[in-house]
Amino acid sequence: MSSLVVDNVTVSRGAGPVIANVSLTVTPGEVTALVGPNGAGKTSLLDGISGVVGVSGGRIVLDGDPIEKLSRVARVKRGLLHIEQGRAVFPSLTVRENLSLTARTGADMDAAIGRFPELEKRINSPAALLSGGEQQMVVLARAFAAKPRFLLIDEMSLGLAPVVFMRLLPYVEELAQSGAGVLLVEQFTHLALGIAREALVVAGGKVGYHGPASALRDDSELLHRAYLGGSAA
Amino acid sequence: MLQGALAGLAAGGLYAALAVCLTLMSRLVRVVNFSQAATGMFGAFVAVWLVTAAGLPIWLGSVLGILLAGALSAAIGWIAATWLSEASTTARSAMTVGPLLLLISLSFILFGNKPQPFSPILGGPAFEFGGVVVSQVTVVMVLLAVVVAVAVQLILTKTAVGTQLRALSERPTTAELLGIPSKPLSIAVWAATGVISAIAIVIVAPSQSNDATSLAMLIVPASAAALLGGFTRPGLAVVGGLALGVLSGLVAQIEEVALIRNFLPFLFIVVLLLWTQRKEVWDSAR
Ligand SMILES: Nc1ncnc2c1ncn2[C@@H]1O[C@H](COP(=O)(O)OP(=O)(O)O)[C@@H](O)[C@H]1O
Ligand SMILES: [Mg+2]
Repeated sequence: MSSLVVDNVTVSRGAGPVIANVSLTVTPGEVTALVGPNGAGKTSLLDGISGVVGVSGGRIVLDGDPIEKLSRVARVKRGLLHIEQGRAVFPSLTVRENLSLTARTGADMDAAIGRFPELEKRINSPAALLSGGEQQMVVLARAFAAKPRFLLIDEMSLGLAPVVFMRLLPYVEELAQSGAGVLLVEQFTHLALGIAREALVVAGGKVGYHGPASALRDDSELLHRAYLGGSAA
Repeated sequence: MLQGALAGLAAGGLYAALAVCLTLMSRLVRVVNFSQAATGMFGAFVAVWLVTAAGLPIWLGSVLGILLAGALSAAIGWIAATWLSEASTTARSAMTVGPLLLLISLSFILFGNKPQPFSPILGGPAFEFGGVVVSQVTVVMVLLAVVVAVAVQLILTKTAVGTQLRALSERPTTAELLGIPSKPLSIAVWAATGVISAIAIVIVAPSQSNDATSLAMLIVPASAAALLGGFTRPGLAVVGGLALGVLSGLVAQIEEVALIRNFLPFLFIVVLLLWTQRKEVWDSAR
């Protein structure tokens, strides 16, 4: 079966490792949540998986093939899509142009726009003029059009009101239901755990919890300990 | 007066074409390419050699020289994309001083330091205007500059590759994470600007001072012209190039000021910088 396996991966930045010895498996059709305090190394781990930075140890295996030495573009070609933290839109490009970067056919484009009625009205505006929530819709629509097999999402909610983010979350579920394996990094822990099956909590560059998301959801004491765990473990 | 202005127009077209190349490079591959004119110069010199020493027909020698300039530029681009892809614009730009000096000395070694025996590809008058003869070179150069600027604009705004290039220039990492092949695309931009520069120089060089240094230093007026468009707008770069050419043509005619001709690009740059900074100066003065 198809899978994305992160095997004992360490990512270093400047001074030294910022996240070390992480192992996890992303399964198609499911959301895996990756949560933890600021500075825990979540973004660094996603950067290592997609090739924004090199990994300093461990392996990343996609469908049985190691990909940690491949270029960013080669990893995309194998079906990996990374949605970066912040607003990953091209500000001066129109909404349509932003989508055209991943939509190969007119039908893909129409299908992507069709999911987001709000965007349809703004289709020819530069992305810079959209609200934060609308910009994230552009990013999600682009992800739908890309038809990724594995999707890394880094804090879509950053700078958004919770109500706005709650409207985006069902799209993430939909992407998973369409068959993509999603690794979801999120500050709104409970919202992420709500749609995830597996979950990891990282703190201080280490994995403090790795198991079913439901266990964390139901036991706030466990979640709390895992959040602090990185330093104690 | 008219005669002087029209005489400067061919050079103006050359500045304009080079300025469009500089604009493209700065906007799409984050580099102020100091070797822009030198690459074209070297291609043009090789073209001359192929025609005079190797006996090729003018058209074939020119085509080969132009292609060589494209390949040279692509090679410099490969270096920038391979080793300096994450470097600052300043570092990437500084790197291009290397090929600038290298190409000047290489052409001294290979071809000597004399102006080259260019055989004109285009010759003769195109038409008369107000009693002044306008040469074919002038007409073709002005057209070339305009056509290149318009084509660039169309490619950037109307084609899929253009959209990818603009995406890359705005957020290179994000673009790569969507599968846009940044390295081949940026090398293609280098190659294209190398070819355009060489075409412009091959056309104008027979009627200009055409030793290696003069041609390589066309980068100065070209930069002044590109500055008018802020290194981002090809249309204004063309206007800047043509204006600068006409101005130097005029100045060369008036004996009292003919000497400042060589300083014109510099003056142009200073005036433009003062003009664009006027608000800041005014604000901080208060
Ligand atoms: N580009 C960088 N250079 C050096 N250190 C960095 C860089 N990016 C992040 N870091 C450091 O790495 C650690 C992990 O950061 P990050 O991966 O962004 O964590 P998170 O996404 O969990 O908030 C932090 O201590 C941060 O300061
Ligand atoms: Mg982060």
